[in-house]
Amino acid sequence: MAAFNKAMDICMHENVDFVLISGDLFHANLPDMHVVNEAVKKMKEVKDAGIPLYVIYGSHDYSPNCTSIIDILDSTGLIKKIVKGEDVDGKLRLEIFTDSKTQAKLVGISGRKGGLEKNYFEMLDRERLEKEEGFKIFAFHSAISELKPEFLAQMESIPVSLLPKGFDYYASGHVHKRTESGFSGYERVVFPGVLFGGYPRDLEDSAKGEKRGFYIVSFGAKVENVKFMEVSVCNFEYFEYDVSDKNSVQAKKDLLDKLSIIEAKDKIAVVKIKGELSGGKTSDISSGEIRDLLKENGAMDVIINRYGLTSKDYASVKIVGEDVPTLETRLLRENIGAVKVSREELKADNGAKLAQDLLKVLRQEQKLNETRRDYVERIQKHALDALGLGDEVT
Amino acid sequence: MALEITGQIIAGKTGQILAREKAGGEIEIGDLLVAEEDEGYVILQAYELVYGSQVPQLVRELMAGMKLEGIGANMDFLEPQLRNYVVAQIKALLRVGKNSELKIPKTLPKFFATIRHAEEKDLLFLTKPKNPVYLGKVRSGSKMLDVDVYVNGVDTLTHHVLIPATTGRGKSNLVKVMLWSVLPQDCLGILVLDPHDEYYGRHGKGLKDHPSAKQCLRYYSTSPVAGTNTLVINLRSILPWHFQGIVDFTDAQRDAISLYYSRFRDQWIENIVRSTEIGDAVAPRTLEVLKRKFDNVLGVYIDDHGDFQCRSRVFSDTAGLATTREITKALEEGKKVVIDTSRLLDEAELLIGSIISGGIFHQYQDYKSEGTLEEKPVISVVIEEAPRVLGADVLTARGDNIYSTIAREGRKFRVGLIAITQLVSLIPRTILANMNTKIILGNELAAERQAVMESAAQDLSSDDRAIASLDKGEAIVSSNFTRFAVPIQIPLFEKYVEDNLQPKEKNKTVFVG
Repeated sequence: MAAFNKAMDICMHENVDFVLISGDLFHANLPDMHVVNEAVKKMKEVKDAGIPLYVIYGSHDYSPNCTSIIDILDSTGLIKKIVKGEDVDGKLRLEIFTDSKTQAKLVGISGRKGGLEKNYFEMLDRERLEKEEGFKIFAFHSAISELKPEFLAQMESIPVSLLPKGFDYYASGHVHKRTESGFSGYERVVFPGVLFGGYPRDLEDSAKGEKRGFYIVSFGAKVENVKFMEVSVCNFEYFEYDVSDKNSVQAKKDLLDKLSIIEAKDKIAVVKIKGELSGGKTSDISSGEIRDLLKENGAMDVIINRYGLTSKDYASVKIVGEDVPTLETRLLRENIGAVKVSREELKADNGAKLAQDLLKVLRQEQKLNETRRDYVERIQKHALDALGLGDEVT
Repeated sequence: MALEITGQIIAGKTGQILAREKAGGEIEIGDLLVAEEDEGYVILQAYELVYGSQVPQLVRELMAGMKLEGIGANMDFLEPQLRNYVVAQIKALLRVGKNSELKIPKTLPKFFATIRHAEEKDLLFLTKPKNPVYLGKVRSGSKMLDVDVYVNGVDTLTHHVLIPATTGRGKSNLVKVMLWSVLPQDCLGILVLDPHDEYYGRHGKGLKDHPSAKQCLRYYSTSPVAGTNTLVINLRSILPWHFQGIVDFTDAQRDAISLYYSRFRDQWIENIVRSTEIGDAVAPRTLEVLKRKFDNVLGVYIDDHGDFQCRSRVFSDTAGLATTREITKALEEGKKVVIDTSRLLDEAELLIGSIISGGIFHQYQDYKSEGTLEEKPVISVVIEEAPRVLGADVLTARGDNIYSTIAREGRKFRVGLIAITQLVSLIPRTILANMNTKIILGNELAAERQAVMESAAQDLSSDDRAIASLDKGEAIVSSNFTRFAVPIQIPLFEKYVEDNLQPKEKNKTVFVG
């Protein structure tokens, strides 16, 4: 929230003509109300300063029936969703929105879950958009195949050739890493990346020195300047530890010794543990203990990345991508065989699905105005339902 | 109904059986013929035709002279169809038992047996295999029989395919037909390095028109059409061994590359171009030559502001980080990937092929060591003008490259080549011997025909004339996976597509955004 507030403050300070957010303004289509409240307060400030906010859906705040928080805020006039179109003879004809102050023409295609927006790009009436005159911005929320970082090679993406050519600026969202590039016909394709970070990998990259922020684009008839505005709201401390050639006991002791002397006060500490233990369980290296130690040393928050940690006692699992649900599914499916259980419903796909359903339940947060007791009861009930024991336990 | 007799075996020996043609029997070179036996039949093929006559030569000469000079213009031989005829030289290809068991003939057909033209029912043993690759229809001489010819894709592509022919004989047409037929098969991943941009169908019918193209075809071009991928490879994806056999380096240059790579890993090229100091190990002159070579091949240089730049359309210092991974992934999913290299210079084209093919080959080596190779689809690399990388002179001068490695070792790792060439004679025999399927199209160059025949899976020593007389679209398939060298007629790709296309249904899309 602090990063968003800071970005909006910069926009107001710089007196920009408008703000364009290429998706995922919120982390869910119906986010927590306190988050909405904070965001709305800040956006109201921006709007009152005479700066319109244009948005498209991202893959997180997308709603297939237009009932996202984005639609609600659009209805209030606080923000303007710039995606509208219809199928005309098998081609997607997008409406062009014009910013009244600058006369910039804005067109967008929202993101959807799992890269499903690709269908829209494939049927897009590009020719009509390409013929449109004036200063044009195309907003979208999809990874571009040619610009994906290597670690996202498996991620759903669209080739740049699916975008309409000749726009002055392609405002891109979805990929969390900042990229500026251009191709013949697509002069300026810019991914600003995340303002702060939604996944551990983002925070790890930030801790390794990647700058976070957004772009201010100056233009007349054409783009005159594209300036990256850094948004930094906290300091990071990055610590990487390789467990190779150590057993779990040795590695844990050595790691905690080393972590005890790092300077973590008032910082977000990012700890990456990797390598293959020569013996013992990976769980012997307790994330809880690491977190407690760093918190005691004043860390604002602790992020622990142990995806690269394996043990010779257990088969290694290769993981590609960063989508948490996908990773969970794969990890559960690939490791469930190592758990010895007699009941068939706890084995293989059934077991993995059950575990995932249970995780989903346990992840639910306490609702506003919900008492702790009600919360515990609700979670217990849902957990028992997920386990298929709802009727057996009273 | 008795089948029409075409001729009768009158003499000969194994591999050279003589049959007198019945008047009007119309035996052609390449004709498939059948000699019936008590327990089945033998399939034969005509490879040479000569005249035969009961009339002495002097008499024939005299008679021709009289007709030509206008003396006795109405004269003719007494019962000419009896006295003058054609003798066909034929060879036995296959013996088919009464229960359709197939054997290579080790005895001659019955002496004085009658022969007839082969018909569809004689070739019912040519069934559709698993993972079929379509090649065309059986051809008997210049006549087409309604019998489809397929080869098993997994077997055939793993053991390499050679397609030799001179220009205009239909090499690309054949490969297009093959690719179309296997496009939806996810057990076959095929990488096509396309120097003429002719397979995708940018300007006409092509693989893009296949109903499964959206799911099964990937197209990369430096000038992509809408919906296809830009061919751009990040400089960080290039490793020193990708240049192996593609670009000439001296020992000193190779040492310098190794040093920079071990020091800077995926930024080795940038650091060479920047002349980053790494001690006295590399002479300044060596570095200068390397910079010049990389500038030529990759288009990399340092600009006036001291920034590392890349002017190439295909290599980039910002984009294309995931390109090779995406291509490899697509191939591993059994997709067909067409790389349009038509706008690239020769070395850049071969380097791109080396990066991708090398990536796949090494990945498959890893799968083998992990024990998971058998779960993976076979991958085949289509390389045009194969002697550029498989030519004896190239291999001698520059050493092995990834293609020669695949030709020699790929079979063990389920990676094969489909090598297309006009000049087979330039490819070493050791490599030709590894190419277990040869789809031979017409070739008027005797030396090239000889090179093909010498390395064929079946004995084609008597087929020199048949190969020389192959018309456009006609071919002979000689393979370890066919029981005999099958003459085929390859369909015209456009016609083949037309026959295999079904009209698409259109649904209205509801747009939500």
